[in-house]
Amino acid sequence: MGTAAAVSTAAVTQETSPVSTTPKPARHTRRHLIDFQGWQPDELMALLDTADVMAQVLTRTIKKVPALQGFTVATLFFEDSTRTRLSFERAARAQSADVIAFAAGSSSLKKGEGIKDTLRTLEQLQADLYVVRHPAAGVPRQLTRWTDAAVVNAGDGRHAHPTQALLDAYTFRSALAIKPPEGAPLAPFTGRRLAIVGDIEHSRVARSNVELFTKLGAEVVLCGPATLLPRELAQLPGVTITHSLEAAVEGADAVMALRLQRERMSSALLPSEAEYVARYQLTERAMRLAKDHAIVMHPGPINRDVEISSDLADGPRSVIEQQVANGVSVRMAVLYTLLVGKR
Amino acid sequence: MSRVVVRGGDLRDGAGHHGRHDLYLLDGTIEGLDLGGRVDLEVDAEGNLVTPAFLDLHAHLRDPGQEVKEDLASGLAAAAAGGFGTVVSMANTAPVVDDPGIVADLVSRSRAIGKARLRPAAALSRGMRGEQLTDLSALKRAGAVMITDDGVPVADGRLMRSACEYAAELGLVVQTHSEDPSLRADGVMNEGVVSQRLGLPGNPDAAEAVMLFRDGEVARLTGARVHLAHVSSRRGLEVAAWLKASGAPVSVEVTPHHLTLDDEALEGFDPLYKVAPPLRTRADVDHLRRALATPVIDSIGTDHAPHTLAEKQRDMLSAPFGIGNIEVAFPLLYTELVAAGVLPLERLLWLLQDGPARVMGWGAPRLDSGHPADVVVIDLEAVAAVDGGKFASKAKHTPWQGAELSGWPVATLVRGELAFTR
Amino acid sequence: MTPEDAAEQLTYKSTIMSVEDIDRALKRIAHEIIERNKGGADLAVVGIHTRGVPLAERLSRLVEEYEGTKPPVGKLDITLYRDDLTEIALQPVVKRTEVDFDVHGLRIVLVDDVLYTGRTARAALDALIDMGRPASIQYAVLVDRGHRELPIRADYVGKNVPTSASEVVHVRLQAVDDSEQVELWERQRP
Repeated sequence: MGTAAAVSTAAVTQETSPVSTTPKPARHTRRHLIDFQGWQPDELMALLDTADVMAQVLTRTIKKVPALQGFTVATLFFEDSTRTRLSFERAARAQSADVIAFAAGSSSLKKGEGIKDTLRTLEQLQADLYVVRHPAAGVPRQLTRWTDAAVVNAGDGRHAHPTQALLDAYTFRSALAIKPPEGAPLAPFTGRRLAIVGDIEHSRVARSNVELFTKLGAEVVLCGPATLLPRELAQLPGVTITHSLEAAVEGADAVMALRLQRERMSSALLPSEAEYVARYQLTERAMRLAKDHAIVMHPGPINRDVEISSDLADGPRSVIEQQVANGVSVRMAVLYTLLVGKR
Repeated sequence: MSRVVVRGGDLRDGAGHHGRHDLYLLDGTIEGLDLGGRVDLEVDAEGNLVTPAFLDLHAHLRDPGQEVKEDLASGLAAAAAGGFGTVVSMANTAPVVDDPGIVADLVSRSRAIGKARLRPAAALSRGMRGEQLTDLSALKRAGAVMITDDGVPVADGRLMRSACEYAAELGLVVQTHSEDPSLRADGVMNEGVVSQRLGLPGNPDAAEAVMLFRDGEVARLTGARVHLAHVSSRRGLEVAAWLKASGAPVSVEVTPHHLTLDDEALEGFDPLYKVAPPLRTRADVDHLRRALATPVIDSIGTDHAPHTLAEKQRDMLSAPFGIGNIEVAFPLLYTELVAAGVLPLERLLWLLQDGPARVMGWGAPRLDSGHPADVVVIDLEAVAAVDGGKFASKAKHTPWQGAELSGWPVATLVRGELAFTR
Repeated sequence: MTPEDAAEQLTYKSTIMSVEDIDRALKRIAHEIIERNKGGADLAVVGIHTRGVPLAERLSRLVEEYEGTKPPVGKLDITLYRDDLTEIALQPVVKRTEVDFDVHGLRIVLVDDVLYTGRTARAALDALIDMGRPASIQYAVLVDRGHRELPIRADYVGKNVPTSASEVVHVRLQAVDDSEQVELWERQRP
C-alpha cells in the first residue's frame, strides 16, 4: 500500500464502488397474516420466492430444516378442517417448530367460553404463533389485539383465507412460468386474467384471491348466479363481474372453480343443482375460450360433476394436485416470514 | 325550602338566547333571574352555557334483569353526567316491561335514586314476542309514557295496527324499531361494498325503508302518534320525509352514532361498532347531518345500549348489538356538528329539548319561572379526552375512547338538586 | 462505501488482497485440493451463498484446467440452518440451494469467502449432511480472520488475516461486486 496519498486514492475508489447485489436482511414490520391489507407487492413476491426454496426442501430425502427450532406454533381450529390444519402442521414440523394442535370440537368453547378466554388459557403454552380458523369473520383480527404472538388466518367466515390465495398465486406463477414483466417490476401478474366461478358471496377463497391477484396486477373476473355474486365487488379495483361463464373464461390465463355447497341449493339462493350445472359447470368445452395455456384450479375438495366436470378436474389443464402440494411450501414460507427476525 | 343559584351562565332555551344571568331555583322549580337573596347552594356557571337539561326518549337501562350491563342507579347517573334530565327507558329487559307492576316498581325505584328522571316505556306485545298486545291502559296508569317493542321489529302488521289503534285512543306514543326482519336476515353491518369486502353478512337499507313505510302507513291509518326511532339511512329518511309530507302522524329520531360513525368503522372487526340499525355509509351520514337542520328530523335520541365488555369481545356474529353513548352524546355532537360549523347550537339544543318534548306532548323545557328546575351547565370551550374508565355507566368501553371533545356538562340539576358535577 | 456501510458507520482501512493475490491464492488452493484428494475423481465443489459460489466455480474450473475433469459445482444457502434465528432482529432472505447431484460417496469441498466464528460452516455441514452422506467434507476459504467460536478449521486457506472484533473483512469479487480485492474496514463506535 504505502503512502497516505495512495491510501486516500484507494479510499476514493472505494466510495465509487457500486453496491453489492447481496440481498440485505429486511426488517419486516409484518406481524400477522390476516388478509392482504397493507401488504406490498414486493413483500408478497418475497413470500412466493421463499416458498420456492421451501418447496426444494420438500424434495430432499430429509424433508426438514432446523430453521424454526425453538419456536412454538399452535393451531386453533374452531371450524373443522383436517386438510388445512395438517398442511399447517406439516409446514411447522418441516422447519422443526414445536406444534400444539387445539381441536375446537373438544374445547371448552362449546360451553360458551368466549374466544378471548380461550386465548387466555392458551397463552400459558407460550406459543409464538397461532394459526386460527373460525366460522365468524374477524376472529383472527380480534385475536391480534389480545396476544403478543403472531396470528395467521387459516380462514375466518367469508372474509379471508390468505394462505390459500398465496398457494393459488404460487401455483399460477409456476404453472405459467411467469417472470416479472419489464417496466412493471412490482406488478408481476400485469396483463394476466384470473376467472373465479361459483358461490362468490360465501367464499373467503374468492375474496382473498381477488385481493391478492389484483394487488399483483392481474385482472380478476367473478362469475356466478346473481344470488351468489355480490354486485358491490365490481367496485373493487381490477375486478369485473359477469353472469356468463363464456364471458368470464374468454381470454383467461386461469379459471378457478369454487365448491358449491349443497346447503345453498335448499335455501332461497339457488333453484336447483341441475340449473347450476347447466349454466356454470366448468367443462372442457367451456375452457375452449380461455387462453391456450390456461390452467384450471380449485381450492378443494371438489364436487365432481357439479362445479367442475370430472374429465376437466383430472385432465392436463388441471393444477389441482399441485395446489395441494404447494400449500405446504407456501405455509412454510409464511411461518418463516412471520417468525424469524421478530425479536 | 331549598334555594339554588346557578351563577353567571349564558342562558339559552327554545325561546331564545337570554344572555348572562343568575338563575334561581326554589324547591324543584325555576324561580327566576337575578333575584338575589340567600341560597342553600351556589353553582358556578361563569363562562358556561346554561340550558334546560336534555330529554332522551330512547335509552336501554337494562333494569330489571340485566343489571350486569347497567341498572337504574348507574344508568340514571350516566344520563345526568351526559346532561340529560329525563330518560325514557326501553322495555326489552328481563322480564320485559309488559306488566303494570314492573312499571310501578321502576317509577318508585327511580324516584328513590334521584339523578335523572325516569319515564318508563312499556312493551307493545307480551314478552315482546310479537303475538299478543299488552294491557296498554293499565301500563299507562302505572306510569308508562310510551309503548314500544324496541330492540325487536313488530313483524306482524295486524298487531302493529291494533297497538296503534289502542295507543291512539289512550294518547300513548308508539315508538318503532323499523327493520323488516326477513330483509334484515342475519346482517351484522350495513350491506354495501365494505360488508362485501369484509365478508360479513349485510343488512341493507331497504330493510329499514320498507318497514318505515309500513309503520308510517299504519300511523296514518290509525291516527296514532308513531315515533320512528333511530332512522339510520338516507333512504330511510327520504321515506320518513315523504310520510310526513303526506300527512302521516309520525316523528323522526336519529342517534348520535348514526351521525358520527360510518360502516368503515367495522374494518377492524370490532363488535364495539355492531349496532342495529347498522352504521351506514359515509354518504348516509352526510345526508343525515344535512337533514338535521330541516323539519324532517324531530329529535335526537341516544339509543344508549350498554353491554358487558365480555359480550362486546365475542366474535362479530355472536356479539350483541348496541352502543353505550349517553355520557358522550352531547359533547360528541357539539364537537362534530356545532363546533365544526355544520349545525347551529340552537338547533342541536332544540333536537334534545323542544323536539323530544313535542314528540311526547310534554311542555317545552324553558328557563322561565314555574318550569321544573331541570338545568344543565355546559363548558363549551374546554377540550378533554373521552375516558370510558371514568363513566358512571357500567359500559366503560366506548368507541370514542380518547376522542378530544368539547361541550362537556359540568353540572346537571334535576328537580333543583345536583344530579351530577364533573 | 455502500449506503449500508455508511449507515453502519464503517470506514475503510486497507486492502489486504489485490486481484492478483486472490488469483494466486485460488490457483494454489486448487493444486492443494488435487494433491490432498489424489486427483479430481469423486470431487464436488459447493459454494456457500453468496460469494462462496463464484469462488467455488473458479476452483472447479481450475481443477478442470489442471486435471482434465471438471468437478460439479453446487450452491448452498444456509439460512434455514442458522443457529440464531430465534434471536435475530432482521429477517434473512432465503435463497435457493442448487445441488443438482447426489452427494452420496463424494468428496465435497465447501467454499466460502471468509471464515470467522465458524457458525456458517457448521450450518453448511448440517445442510450438506441432510442431503445425503458424502465420503468426506473439506473446507476452503479465501480469508481466515480468526475468532472461532466453534471447533471448526479450514482445510485450505487463501490468507490468514488476524483481525480485531471491531474490524470487518469485505471480499469483493468481479462476479458479484464489479471489482475484485479483499478490504479491511473498521466499525466506528458512535
